[in-house]
Amino acid sequence: MEEAQKYVWEGAIPLQIHLHESEVTTLPTPPPALILAPRIGYLPLLIPQIKPHFSNALPPGSPDTVWFDYNGLPLKWYIPTGVLFDLLCAEPERPWNLTVHFRGYPSNILVPCEGEDSVKWSFINSLKEAAYIINGNCKNVMNMSQPDQVELWRSVLNGNLEAYVRISSKLRLGTVGDEYADGGGQGQVKTGRVPVRLYVWSVSEDFDDLEDAPQIDSWDKISYINRPVEIHGEEGNYFTLQDAVKSILPEYFPNKSSTKEESSRDEDENEQTVPSEEGEKYLSENVDTCYPSDNVEIKLVRIQGIEPKMDIPFSWVVKNLTNPEHYLHICVCLKVPQVL
Amino acid sequence: MAAESQSPSSVKKVVVHLRATGDAPILKQAKFKIPGTDKFAKVIDFLRRQLHRETLFVYVNSAFSPNPDELVIDLYNNFGFDGKLVVNYACSMAWG
Repeated sequence: MEEAQKYVWEGAIPLQIHLHESEVTTLPTPPPALILAPRIGYLPLLIPQIKPHFSNALPPGSPDTVWFDYNGLPLKWYIPTGVLFDLLCAEPERPWNLTVHFRGYPSNILVPCEGEDSVKWSFINSLKEAAYIINGNCKNVMNMSQPDQVELWRSVLNGNLEAYVRISSKLRLGTVGDEYADGGGQGQVKTGRVPVRLYVWSVSEDFDDLEDAPQIDSWDKISYINRPVEIHGEEGNYFTLQDAVKSILPEYFPNKSSTKEESSRDEDENEQTVPSEEGEKYLSENVDTCYPSDNVEIKLVRIQGIEPKMDIPFSWVVKNLTNPEHYLHICVCLKVPQVL
Repeated sequence: MAAESQSPSSVKKVVVHLRATGDAPILKQAKFKIPGTDKFAKVIDFLRRQLHRETLFVYVNSAFSPNPDELVIDLYNNFGFDGKLVVNYACSMAWG
Protein backbone atom coordinates (compact mmCIF):
# COMPACT_ATOMS: atom_id res chain seq x y z
CA MET A 1 0.00 0.00 0.00
CA GLU A 2 1.43 3.33 -0.97
CA GLU A 3 1.56 6.17 1.46
CA ALA A 4 0.23 8.70 -1.01
CA GLN A 5 -2.77 6.47 -1.67
CA LYS A 6 -3.45 6.44 2.06
CA TYR A 7 -3.44 10.24 2.09
CA VAL A 8 -5.88 10.30 -0.79
CA TRP A 9 -8.25 7.94 1.03
CA GLU A 10 -8.05 9.94 4.23
CA GLY A 11 -8.37 13.25 2.41
CA ALA A 12 -11.48 15.24 3.28
CA ILE A 13 -12.89 18.66 2.58
CA PRO A 14 -14.49 20.66 5.37
CA LEU A 15 -17.93 21.69 4.17
CA GLN A 16 -20.14 24.40 5.57
CA ILE A 17 -23.58 23.66 4.24
CA HIS A 18 -26.29 26.30 4.23
CA LEU A 19 -29.98 25.72 3.69
CA HIS A 20 -31.17 27.68 0.68
CA GLU A 21 -33.00 30.80 1.83
CA SER A 22 -36.16 29.96 -0.09
CA GLU A 23 -36.55 26.81 1.99
CA VAL A 24 -36.08 28.39 5.40
CA THR A 25 -39.38 28.49 7.27
CA THR A 26 -38.14 29.15 10.79
CA LEU A 27 -36.61 32.05 12.63
CA PRO A 28 -33.81 32.27 13.36
CA THR A 29 -32.36 30.69 10.24
CA PRO A 30 -30.85 27.29 11.10
CA PRO A 31 -27.07 27.42 11.48
CA PRO A 32 -25.05 25.83 8.68
CA ALA A 33 -24.11 22.17 8.97
CA LEU A 34 -20.39 21.46 9.27
CA ILE A 35 -19.28 18.20 7.75
CA LEU A 36 -16.01 16.62 6.67
CA ALA A 37 -16.62 15.23 3.21
CA PRO A 38 -14.25 12.48 2.01
CA ARG A 39 -12.48 13.37 -1.24
CA ILE A 40 -13.26 9.99 -2.77
CA GLY A 41 -16.90 10.22 -1.67
CA TYR A 42 -19.97 11.69 -3.36
CA LEU A 43 -22.26 14.45 -2.14
CA PRO A 44 -25.52 12.43 -1.95
CA LEU A 45 -23.83 10.10 0.54
CA LEU A 46 -23.77 12.99 3.02
CA ILE A 47 -27.53 13.49 2.94
CA PRO A 48 -28.29 11.15 5.89
CA GLN A 49 -26.06 13.39 8.02
CA ILE A 50 -27.39 16.66 6.66
CA LYS A 51 -31.12 16.00 6.63
CA PRO A 52 -31.65 15.76 10.41
CA HIS A 53 -29.78 19.03 10.85
CA PHE A 54 -32.33 20.96 8.78
CA SER A 55 -35.43 18.84 9.23
CA ASN A 56 -37.11 21.30 11.62
CA ALA A 57 -36.63 24.27 9.33
CA LEU A 58 -38.02 22.69 6.17
CA PRO A 59 -41.44 23.54 4.80
CA PRO A 60 -44.04 20.79 5.23
CA GLY A 61 -44.78 18.36 2.43
CA SER A 62 -42.84 15.60 0.82
CA PRO A 63 -39.33 16.69 -0.10
CA ASP A 64 -37.84 16.42 -3.56
CA THR A 65 -34.45 14.92 -4.36
CA VAL A 66 -31.78 16.67 -2.32
CA TRP A 67 -29.18 18.61 -4.32
CA PHE A 68 -26.33 21.03 -3.75
CA ASP A 69 -25.03 24.18 -5.37
CA TYR A 70 -21.85 26.24 -5.12
CA ASN A 71 -22.35 29.93 -5.89
CA GLY A 72 -25.49 29.01 -7.80
CA LEU A 73 -23.92 26.21 -9.86
CA PRO A 74 -25.76 22.89 -9.28
CA LEU A 75 -23.20 20.25 -8.39
CA LYS A 76 -23.04 17.05 -10.41
CA TRP A 77 -23.43 14.27 -7.90
CA TYR A 78 -21.58 11.57 -9.80
CA ILE A 79 -18.32 13.55 -9.73
CA PRO A 80 -16.25 12.69 -6.63
CA THR A 81 -16.45 15.46 -4.03
CA GLY A 82 -12.70 16.07 -4.14
CA VAL A 83 -12.80 16.59 -7.89
CA LEU A 84 -15.68 19.09 -7.59
CA PHE A 85 -13.66 21.04 -5.04
CA ASP A 86 -10.46 20.99 -7.13
CA LEU A 87 -12.35 22.06 -10.21
CA LEU A 88 -14.68 24.73 -8.87
CA CYS A 89 -12.51 26.27 -6.17
CA ALA A 90 -9.42 27.47 -8.03
CA GLU A 91 -8.34 29.16 -4.82
CA PRO A 92 -9.27 26.52 -2.24
CA GLU A 93 -11.92 27.84 0.13
CA ARG A 94 -12.02 26.24 3.57
CA PRO A 95 -14.57 25.55 4.75
CA TRP A 96 -16.18 25.15 1.38
CA ASN A 97 -19.54 26.94 1.46
CA LEU A 98 -22.23 24.93 -0.27
CA THR A 99 -25.97 25.35 -0.36
CA VAL A 100 -28.34 22.43 0.08
CA HIS A 101 -31.78 22.28 -1.51
CA PHE A 102 -34.60 19.94 -0.59
CA ARG A 103 -36.82 20.99 -3.51
CA GLY A 104 -36.73 22.23 -7.07
CA TYR A 105 -34.36 19.59 -8.43
CA PRO A 106 -32.79 21.08 -11.60
CA SER A 107 -33.36 18.03 -13.79
CA ASN A 108 -32.32 19.99 -16.89
CA ILE A 109 -28.79 20.12 -15.47
CA LEU A 110 -28.49 17.17 -13.12
CA VAL A 111 -29.07 13.49 -13.76
CA PRO A 112 -31.81 12.07 -11.51
CA CYS A 113 -30.49 10.71 -8.25
CA GLU A 114 -32.11 8.33 -5.82
CA GLY A 115 -29.59 8.56 -3.05
CA GLU A 116 -27.02 5.91 -2.31
CA ASP A 117 -28.40 3.40 -4.84
CA SER A 118 -27.82 5.80 -7.72
CA VAL A 119 -24.33 6.63 -6.53
CA LYS A 120 -23.46 2.97 -6.18
CA TRP A 121 -24.83 2.24 -9.67
CA SER A 122 -22.78 5.07 -11.11
CA PHE A 123 -19.66 3.91 -9.25
CA ILE A 124 -19.93 0.29 -10.39
CA ASN A 125 -20.56 1.36 -13.97
CA SER A 126 -17.54 3.66 -13.94
CA LEU A 127 -15.51 0.77 -12.57
CA LYS A 128 -16.73 -1.45 -15.42
CA GLU A 129 -15.94 1.27 -17.93
CA ALA A 130 -12.43 1.63 -16.52
CA ALA A 131 -11.95 -2.14 -16.60
CA TYR A 132 -13.04 -2.15 -20.22
CA ILE A 133 -10.38 0.42 -21.04
CA ILE A 134 -7.67 -1.46 -19.17
CA ASN A 135 -8.47 -5.03 -20.22
CA GLY A 136 -10.65 -4.67 -23.30
CA ASN A 137 -13.59 -6.17 -21.41
CA CYS A 138 -15.09 -5.92 -17.95
CA LYS A 139 -15.72 -9.57 -17.22
CA ASN A 140 -13.83 -9.45 -13.95
CA VAL A 141 -16.14 -6.77 -12.59
CA MET A 142 -19.28 -8.37 -14.03
CA ASN A 143 -18.36 -11.75 -12.59
CA MET A 144 -17.72 -10.34 -9.15
CA SER A 145 -19.71 -12.12 -6.47
CA GLN A 146 -22.53 -10.15 -4.88
CA PRO A 147 -20.85 -10.14 -1.43
CA ASP A 148 -17.61 -8.88 -2.97
CA GLN A 149 -19.43 -6.13 -4.81
CA VAL A 150 -21.16 -5.08 -1.59
CA GLU A 151 -17.89 -5.15 0.30
CA LEU A 152 -16.10 -3.14 -2.38
CA TRP A 153 -18.79 -0.48 -2.25
CA ARG A 154 -18.75 -0.46 1.55
CA SER A 155 -14.98 0.03 1.56
CA VAL A 156 -15.43 3.17 -0.53
CA LEU A 157 -18.36 4.32 1.58
CA ASN A 158 -16.37 3.90 4.79
CA GLY A 159 -12.98 4.92 3.41
CA ASN A 160 -11.53 1.54 4.32
CA LEU A 161 -8.45 1.28 2.13
CA GLU A 162 -7.35 -2.14 3.40
CA ALA A 163 -10.69 -3.75 2.58
CA TYR A 164 -10.68 -1.98 -0.77
CA VAL A 165 -7.21 -3.27 -1.70
CA ARG A 166 -8.21 -6.80 -0.65
CA ILE A 167 -11.30 -6.90 -2.88
CA SER A 168 -10.10 -4.82 -5.80
CA SER A 169 -6.94 -6.87 -6.23
CA LYS A 170 -9.21 -9.72 -7.33
CA LEU A 171 -10.29 -7.59 -10.27
CA ARG A 172 -6.80 -7.67 -11.77
CA LEU A 173 -6.97 -4.09 -12.92
CA GLY A 174 -3.36 -3.36 -12.13
CA THR A 175 -2.19 -0.83 -14.64
CA VAL A 176 1.17 0.56 -15.50
CA GLY A 177 1.49 2.00 -12.03
CA ASP A 178 2.24 -1.43 -10.63
CA GLU A 179 5.05 -1.96 -13.08
CA TYR A 180 6.66 1.19 -11.84
CA ALA A 181 6.35 0.25 -8.18
CA ASP A 182 7.29 -3.40 -8.48
CA GLY A 183 10.06 -3.11 -11.00
CA GLY A 184 11.59 -0.23 -9.12
CA GLY A 185 13.44 0.66 -12.30
CA GLN A 186 13.94 4.12 -13.67
CA GLY A 187 10.28 4.53 -14.32
CA GLN A 188 10.37 1.80 -16.91
CA VAL A 189 6.88 1.36 -18.08
CA LYS A 190 5.24 -1.19 -20.25
CA THR A 191 2.56 -0.34 -22.70
CA GLY A 192 -0.82 0.24 -21.18
CA ARG A 193 -4.03 2.21 -21.20
CA VAL A 194 -4.99 4.38 -18.28
CA PRO A 195 -8.63 5.45 -17.86
CA VAL A 196 -8.75 9.21 -17.44
CA ARG A 197 -11.56 11.66 -16.91
CA LEU A 198 -10.40 15.13 -17.76
CA TYR A 199 -12.16 18.34 -16.75
CA VAL A 200 -10.85 21.20 -18.85
CA TRP A 201 -11.69 24.84 -18.41
CA SER A 202 -10.16 27.45 -20.61
CA VAL A 203 -9.39 31.05 -19.82
CA SER A 204 -8.54 33.69 -22.36
CA GLU A 205 -7.23 36.29 -19.93
CA ASP A 206 -4.14 35.51 -17.97
CA PHE A 207 -4.13 35.66 -14.18
CA ASP A 208 -1.24 35.56 -11.76
CA ASP A 209 -3.12 34.68 -8.66
CA LEU A 210 -5.61 31.86 -8.34
CA GLU A 211 -7.85 34.27 -6.44
CA ASP A 212 -8.26 36.17 -9.68
CA ALA A 213 -9.22 33.11 -11.69
CA PRO A 214 -12.64 33.51 -13.25
CA GLN A 215 -15.46 31.72 -11.45
CA ILE A 216 -16.93 28.70 -13.24
CA ASP A 217 -20.61 29.56 -13.30
CA SER A 218 -21.84 27.04 -15.86
CA TRP A 219 -21.04 23.44 -16.74
CA ASP A 220 -20.88 24.56 -20.37
CA LYS A 221 -17.54 26.13 -19.57
CA ILE A 222 -16.05 22.76 -18.76
CA SER A 223 -15.10 20.18 -21.34
CA TYR A 224 -15.60 16.74 -19.91
CA ILE A 225 -13.19 14.53 -21.80
CA ASN A 226 -12.89 10.79 -21.43
CA ARG A 227 -9.83 9.58 -23.24
CA PRO A 228 -7.43 6.94 -22.06
CA VAL A 229 -3.78 7.80 -21.85
CA GLU A 230 -1.76 5.34 -23.89
CA ILE A 231 1.58 4.65 -22.35
CA HIS A 232 4.25 3.35 -24.63
CA GLY A 233 7.35 2.15 -22.92
CA GLU A 234 10.36 3.95 -24.23
CA GLU A 235 13.94 3.17 -23.52
CA GLY A 236 15.64 5.60 -21.24
CA ASN A 237 12.81 8.02 -21.29
CA TYR A 238 9.97 7.97 -18.88
CA PHE A 239 6.52 9.21 -19.68
CA THR A 240 5.71 12.32 -17.66
CA LEU A 241 2.48 13.83 -16.45
CA GLN A 242 3.02 16.56 -19.02
CA ASP A 243 3.33 13.97 -21.81
CA ALA A 244 0.11 12.37 -20.60
CA VAL A 245 -1.94 15.57 -20.44
CA LYS A 246 -0.72 16.75 -23.82
CA SER A 247 -1.31 13.36 -25.42
CA ILE A 248 -5.02 13.45 -24.63
CA LEU A 249 -5.47 17.05 -25.75
CA PRO A 250 -4.29 16.80 -29.37
CA GLU A 251 -6.58 19.72 -30.32
CA TYR A 252 -4.35 21.97 -28.27
CA PHE A 253 -1.06 20.16 -28.38
CA PRO A 254 -0.68 18.55 -31.79
CA ASN A 255 1.98 15.93 -31.57
CA LYS A 256 3.34 13.75 -34.29
CA SER A 257 2.62 10.38 -32.80
CA SER A 258 -0.75 11.15 -31.28
CA THR A 259 -1.94 13.06 -34.32
CA LYS A 260 -1.04 10.20 -36.54
CA GLU A 261 -3.10 7.87 -34.41
CA GLU A 262 -6.01 10.23 -34.33
CA SER A 263 -5.94 10.82 -38.03
CA SER A 264 -5.96 7.16 -38.92
CA ARG A 265 -8.82 6.50 -36.53
CA ASP A 266 -10.93 9.60 -36.88
CA GLU A 267 -10.81 10.19 -40.57
CA ASP A 268 -14.12 10.19 -42.35
CA GLU A 269 -14.81 7.06 -44.32
CA ASN A 270 -14.80 8.92 -47.60
CA GLU A 271 -11.35 10.32 -47.01
CA GLN A 272 -8.78 7.77 -47.98
CA THR A 273 -5.62 7.81 -45.98
CA VAL A 274 -2.46 8.06 -48.00
CA PRO A 275 -0.17 5.47 -46.49
CA SER A 276 2.88 6.32 -48.52
CA GLU A 277 2.64 10.05 -48.13
CA GLU A 278 1.71 10.39 -44.54
CA GLY A 279 4.28 12.86 -43.49
CA GLU A 280 4.47 16.28 -42.05
CA LYS A 281 2.52 17.68 -44.95
CA TYR A 282 -0.34 15.27 -44.62
CA LEU A 283 -0.56 15.79 -40.90
CA SER A 284 -0.49 19.53 -40.98
CA GLU A 285 -3.30 19.58 -43.49
CA ASN A 286 -5.52 17.53 -41.29
CA VAL A 287 -5.15 19.23 -37.97
CA ASP A 288 -7.02 22.31 -39.05
CA THR A 289 -8.98 22.54 -35.81
CA CYS A 290 -5.82 22.65 -33.77
CA TYR A 291 -4.56 25.65 -31.96
CA PRO A 292 -0.97 26.57 -32.44
CA SER A 293 0.58 24.86 -29.49
CA ASP A 294 2.86 27.80 -28.71
CA ASN A 295 -0.11 29.87 -27.72
CA VAL A 296 -1.80 27.38 -25.45
CA GLU A 297 -0.48 27.25 -21.96
CA ILE A 298 -1.30 24.79 -19.20
CA LYS A 299 -2.10 27.13 -16.31
CA LEU A 300 -3.02 24.58 -13.74
CA VAL A 301 -3.21 20.82 -13.34
CA ARG A 302 -4.78 19.58 -10.17
CA ILE A 303 -5.21 15.96 -9.09
CA GLN A 304 -6.50 15.00 -5.64
CA GLY A 305 -5.94 18.55 -4.41
CA ILE A 306 -2.30 18.52 -5.46
CA GLU A 307 -0.66 20.51 -8.21
CA PRO A 308 2.01 18.01 -9.17
CA LYS A 309 5.16 18.96 -11.02
CA MET A 310 4.59 18.27 -14.68
CA ASP A 311 7.78 16.28 -15.10
CA ILE A 312 6.99 13.53 -12.58
CA PRO A 313 6.44 10.03 -13.99
CA PHE A 314 2.85 9.57 -15.05
CA SER A 315 2.96 6.02 -13.70
CA TRP A 316 3.49 7.42 -10.19
CA VAL A 317 0.44 9.61 -10.62
CA VAL A 318 -1.64 6.63 -11.75
CA LYS A 319 -0.43 4.41 -8.96
CA ASN A 320 -1.09 6.89 -6.19
CA LEU A 321 -3.75 9.37 -7.22
CA THR A 322 -6.33 7.24 -9.00
CA ASN A 323 -9.84 7.15 -7.55
CA PRO A 324 -11.30 3.83 -6.34
CA GLU A 325 -13.27 3.29 -9.55
CA HIS A 326 -9.86 3.16 -11.31
CA TYR A 327 -10.30 6.47 -13.07
CA LEU A 328 -7.73 9.19 -12.77
CA HIS A 329 -9.59 12.51 -12.55
CA ILE A 330 -7.51 15.45 -13.77
CA CYS A 331 -8.60 19.09 -13.58
CA VAL A 332 -6.86 21.23 -16.14
CA CYS A 333 -6.98 24.97 -16.69
CA LEU A 334 -5.74 26.08 -20.09
CA LYS A 335 -4.92 29.57 -21.20
CA VAL A 336 -6.14 29.72 -24.76
CA PRO A 337 -5.99 32.84 -26.88
CA GLN A 338 -9.47 33.89 -27.91
CA VAL A 339 -10.45 32.24 -31.17
CA LEU A 340 -13.41 33.77 -32.87
CA MET B 1 -13.64 23.89 -26.28
CA ALA B 2 -15.35 21.11 -28.18
CA ALA B 3 -18.40 22.25 -30.06
CA GLU B 4 -17.96 25.96 -30.46
CA SER B 5 -14.36 25.91 -31.60
CA GLN B 6 -14.97 23.59 -34.53
CA SER B 7 -16.60 24.40 -37.77
CA PRO B 8 -19.77 22.34 -38.31
CA SER B 9 -18.23 20.45 -41.21
CA SER B 10 -15.43 19.08 -39.07
CA VAL B 11 -17.75 17.58 -36.46
CA LYS B 12 -17.44 13.86 -36.80
CA LYS B 13 -20.66 11.90 -36.89
CA VAL B 14 -20.86 8.61 -35.08
CA VAL B 15 -22.97 5.68 -36.22
CA VAL B 16 -24.93 4.26 -33.32
CA HIS B 17 -26.48 0.78 -33.44
CA LEU B 18 -29.37 0.27 -31.05
CA ARG B 19 -30.00 -3.22 -29.79
CA ALA B 20 -32.92 -4.28 -27.66
CA THR B 21 -32.20 -6.49 -24.68
CA GLY B 22 -34.61 -8.65 -22.73
CA ASP B 23 -38.23 -7.70 -23.30
CA ALA B 24 -37.49 -4.22 -24.65
CA PRO B 25 -39.29 -3.51 -27.93
CA ILE B 26 -37.21 -3.45 -31.11
CA LEU B 27 -37.08 -0.09 -32.84
CA LYS B 28 -37.86 0.35 -36.52
CA GLN B 29 -34.81 2.51 -36.92
CA ALA B 30 -32.01 0.72 -35.17
CA LYS B 31 -29.17 2.72 -36.72
CA PHE B 32 -28.62 6.41 -36.67
CA LYS B 33 -25.92 9.03 -37.00
CA ILE B 34 -25.26 11.50 -34.25
CA PRO B 35 -22.68 14.29 -33.95
CA GLY B 36 -19.72 13.14 -31.88
CA THR B 37 -19.89 16.34 -29.88
CA ASP B 38 -23.29 15.32 -28.48
CA LYS B 39 -23.50 13.87 -25.02
CA PHE B 40 -24.60 10.31 -24.40
CA ALA B 41 -27.68 11.86 -22.74
CA LYS B 42 -28.95 12.57 -26.29
CA VAL B 43 -28.97 8.86 -27.05
CA ILE B 44 -30.81 8.10 -23.81
CA ASP B 45 -33.36 10.85 -24.51
CA PHE B 46 -33.92 9.55 -28.01
CA LEU B 47 -34.60 6.07 -26.68
CA ARG B 48 -36.92 7.37 -23.97
CA ARG B 49 -38.97 9.26 -26.52
CA GLN B 50 -39.09 6.37 -28.96
CA LEU B 51 -40.09 3.86 -26.34
CA HIS B 52 -42.26 6.20 -24.25
CA ARG B 53 -40.59 5.06 -21.08
CA GLU B 54 -39.16 7.06 -18.22
CA THR B 55 -37.08 4.23 -16.82
CA LEU B 56 -34.65 2.73 -19.20
CA PHE B 57 -31.29 1.04 -18.80
CA VAL B 58 -28.83 1.94 -21.51
CA TYR B 59 -25.50 0.21 -21.99
CA VAL B 60 -22.50 0.19 -24.27
CA ASN B 61 -21.31 -3.18 -25.64
CA SER B 62 -23.62 -5.09 -23.28
CA ALA B 63 -21.23 -4.15 -20.56
CA PHE B 64 -21.63 -0.87 -18.73
CA SER B 65 -23.78 2.21 -18.54
CA PRO B 66 -21.75 5.35 -19.33
CA ASN B 67 -22.60 8.51 -17.53
CA PRO B 68 -24.89 10.77 -19.57
CA ASP B 69 -22.37 13.61 -19.81
CA GLU B 70 -19.82 11.57 -21.71
CA LEU B 71 -19.33 12.65 -25.30
CA VAL B 72 -20.44 10.22 -27.99
CA ILE B 73 -17.10 10.65 -29.77
CA ASP B 74 -15.17 9.60 -26.66
CA LEU B 75 -17.37 6.52 -26.29
CA TYR B 76 -16.90 5.70 -29.95
CA ASN B 77 -13.12 6.09 -29.78
CA ASN B 78 -12.86 4.06 -26.59
CA PHE B 79 -15.44 1.35 -27.13
CA GLY B 80 -16.59 1.44 -30.75
CA PHE B 81 -15.65 -1.17 -33.31
CA ASP B 82 -16.33 -1.81 -36.99
CA GLY B 83 -17.12 1.87 -37.39
CA LYS B 84 -20.02 1.94 -34.97
CA LEU B 85 -20.96 2.33 -31.34
CA VAL B 86 -23.21 -0.46 -30.05
CA VAL B 87 -25.81 0.70 -27.55
CA ASN B 88 -28.04 -1.82 -25.79
CA TYR B 89 -31.23 -0.83 -24.03
CA ALA B 90 -33.43 -2.68 -21.61
CA CYS B 91 -36.55 -1.91 -19.64
CA SER B 92 -35.19 -3.61 -16.56
CA MET B 93 -31.67 -3.81 -15.27
CA ALA B 94 -29.72 -6.13 -17.54
CA TRP B 95 -26.13 -5.87 -16.42
CA GLY B 96 -25.83 -4.67 -12.82
